[in-house]
Amino acid sequence: MAKKSVWSDNRFWQRSAGWVTGVASVLLMWLTFDTIPQITLGTDADLENGVTKRVPGPTVINYKITYEMDKKRHHEVPVIGGANAEGKSSFQEKEKFFGRDDWSEEEARALLRLGKLGSQAKNCMNCHTLLGNGAYYAPDLTKAWLDPAWGPNGPMQAMTGKNTKEEAMAEFLQFPSQYPTHARMMPNLGITAEEAKGLVAFLKHMSSIDTNGFPRNFGKIEGAVHGK
Amino acid sequence: MANSHLKYESKKLATWYFTFAAIIFGAQLLFGLVAAIQYVMPSFMFEVVDFSVARMIHINALVVWMVFAMFGSVYWLLPDETGIETVGVGIGKLLFWAFAAAIVVVVLVYLFIQVGPADETTIWFIHEGREYIEAPRWADFAIVVVALGFVANLYMTGIKGNRSGIVTVLMADMIAFSGLYLTGMFYTDNISMDQFWWWWVIHLWVEATWEVFVGALAAYGLITMIGAHRKVVEMWLWIEVAMLFGSGILGMGHHYFWIGTPEYWWEIGALFSALEPLPLVAMFIHVLYDWGKMQGQEDAKGLEQSVITNKPAFTWFILNAFGNFLGAGIWGFFHTLPQVNLYTHGTQFTSAHGHLAFFGAYATILIGMMYLGVQGKNGIKIMRHTKSSIWATSMIFGGVLGMTMALTIAGYADFIISRAQWGATWEGYFAGQSGVWYLQGMNWRLIMGVVTFIGFLFLVKDLLSTGRAAHHER
Amino acid sequence: MNVMFEPFVDVVPSFFGTLAQGPLTLTIFLHTLIVLPMFWIYRQEKARLEQEG
Repeated sequence: MAKKSVWSDNRFWQRSAGWVTGVASVLLMWLTFDTIPQITLGTDADLENGVTKRVPGPTVINYKITYEMDKKRHHEVPVIGGANAEGKSSFQEKEKFFGRDDWSEEEARALLRLGKLGSQAKNCMNCHTLLGNGAYYAPDLTKAWLDPAWGPNGPMQAMTGKNTKEEAMAEFLQFPSQYPTHARMMPNLGITAEEAKGLVAFLKHMSSIDTNGFPRNFGKIEGAVHGK
Repeated sequence: MANSHLKYESKKLATWYFTFAAIIFGAQLLFGLVAAIQYVMPSFMFEVVDFSVARMIHINALVVWMVFAMFGSVYWLLPDETGIETVGVGIGKLLFWAFAAAIVVVVLVYLFIQVGPADETTIWFIHEGREYIEAPRWADFAIVVVALGFVANLYMTGIKGNRSGIVTVLMADMIAFSGLYLTGMFYTDNISMDQFWWWWVIHLWVEATWEVFVGALAAYGLITMIGAHRKVVEMWLWIEVAMLFGSGILGMGHHYFWIGTPEYWWEIGALFSALEPLPLVAMFIHVLYDWGKMQGQEDAKGLEQSVITNKPAFTWFILNAFGNFLGAGIWGFFHTLPQVNLYTHGTQFTSAHGHLAFFGAYATILIGMMYLGVQGKNGIKIMRHTKSSIWATSMIFGGVLGMTMALTIAGYADFIISRAQWGATWEGYFAGQSGVWYLQGMNWRLIMGVVTFIGFLFLVKDLLSTGRAAHHER
Repeated sequence: MNVMFEPFVDVVPSFFGTLAQGPLTLTIFLHTLIVLPMFWIYRQEKARLEQEG
């Protein structure tokens, strides 16, 4: 009688399936234990001591944030508080956020919490993308804080008649259909002045997260080839 | 349900699950149409049912009807596989009503309350604002209770009755499926942490446990519909489990490229997720191979007849094998490598993949299971196509394929113009949205969406009436 | 250090980050952990089949 092949034996495949599933699950958990500390929210002390975190603490709203090419990593990374000689975050340069650059850790945390809860309560993710995830009916918000449109010379800031980026964004969030930019408009979601402030803090914080260079070339190209 | 041919209560319960699933499927398509119209005509229902609301119902209804149909499928196949009535089927019926009632309340709240203030009450009672798992926290707990009851029934039945390979796979799979839901049930201020665990639910459902579930259903279908040999089918099933979990679990890395997670995920996500299409190819080959083999044996006996005992269901199973491979496999691979995903991530390209993958991998086979339910309930020995079933199949499959093509073309404009050229700013986004390919793509998507919906109407008509048709063999 | 191994670029040095410096080193490591032990499963099953046969 011909010998039976292991390759057509159910027990072999059943055991292999069990093994592969088990090891892959264990590896995923191991990787999770490695990743979680790296994406844990940083603290105010980290910012004061110049410690770069992938997800900085909420008081990052007190600092100037830019998005610069990292020579070693070959993509853009958020630079907090201006760049040092090596092009890394120097955590020196502050920037006023709603008139203050001394938001305490508790205050900033409360603001971020209000904004994050607001982003869920107002269902942002079912029109916009956050960190690239969500719906595709409205612009990606990952680096919205750094969008030149909201900057001093940008059309959005001018449209709302406000003097700072954060005030312009908060005004737009409260009365979006008063400031239409396209036929596709943002609806009025009943966002209060306080909630708008929280949402802007949430957006500023999100722009400081190290997203491995996503989105690429954000805000760097002005008036590129028109897409028609 | 008076003149039912069903001997098992478990199968009766399954038909309830299938019926409710079909209703929610209709809601999914309806709100999908609203969202598709809004892309073409942004003022449509503006500040009445906004895109965010329509889309939330569209994707949440998708998840819910599939879960209902999956629970129904298990209750359907359990008596056949184990040879006994499902243990705890009475509790199963009670849980069905609890589940259905909870879903109705959740959807009505989505539709009429829509948004809440920025505090925890919104997350507990309105929605969580997290794509696909928007259900408010109270409903999360209800779902956990229902899932626990369901898994308990499955385990008790599997332990008491004959535990086939298919039942063993389902037992392992459904406990993971239910357990993973827990990882999506917490709130954090940290958006990176939020999305890290969010993917544990979404990815490990649709690219791991749900796929294995489909493998088990396909195995069951091949045995019941064409009389394939259990030993061969179950060997394939174990190979598929090994390949699906082997690639799918660490394939999760392809969601960790850009959410704040370390760079090493690029390599893990790229290589493991690139292997994810392999088991889908295997499943496609397996289904066609077994069909050819069984038909060949029949032909060799000199019998000029099909081996298929349920034509419409088998058609949907074949479309599943093909659609899973095409939508999840090919369209998924298109944008899974980080160097591509850097630009395609979060564009209409993703949406194209989402449509064909969910439809090809899950909707098809679950519709097939509904046809098995109609066959069993009406005591039909050989079930044939009707005009409506052929219209339904071609219009739904053609419609979804058409939407996918349209979205893919819109996606090219989306990512080339707004991502690659303009760097994803507000201005760049709208430059992409006004591209000609984009606008045409969105028009075609709406047209194909309407085709799909008409196909759905034929499907409902057929599921309700084909049981009485005279041309089936009883 | 030759060109086959890049300097460490990730923000935080970690075991996996270190492995990710060479060409496909990390993924080869993980794939090996998963697939290689199937060899022993194969040998055991072969021995069992031979005994039964």
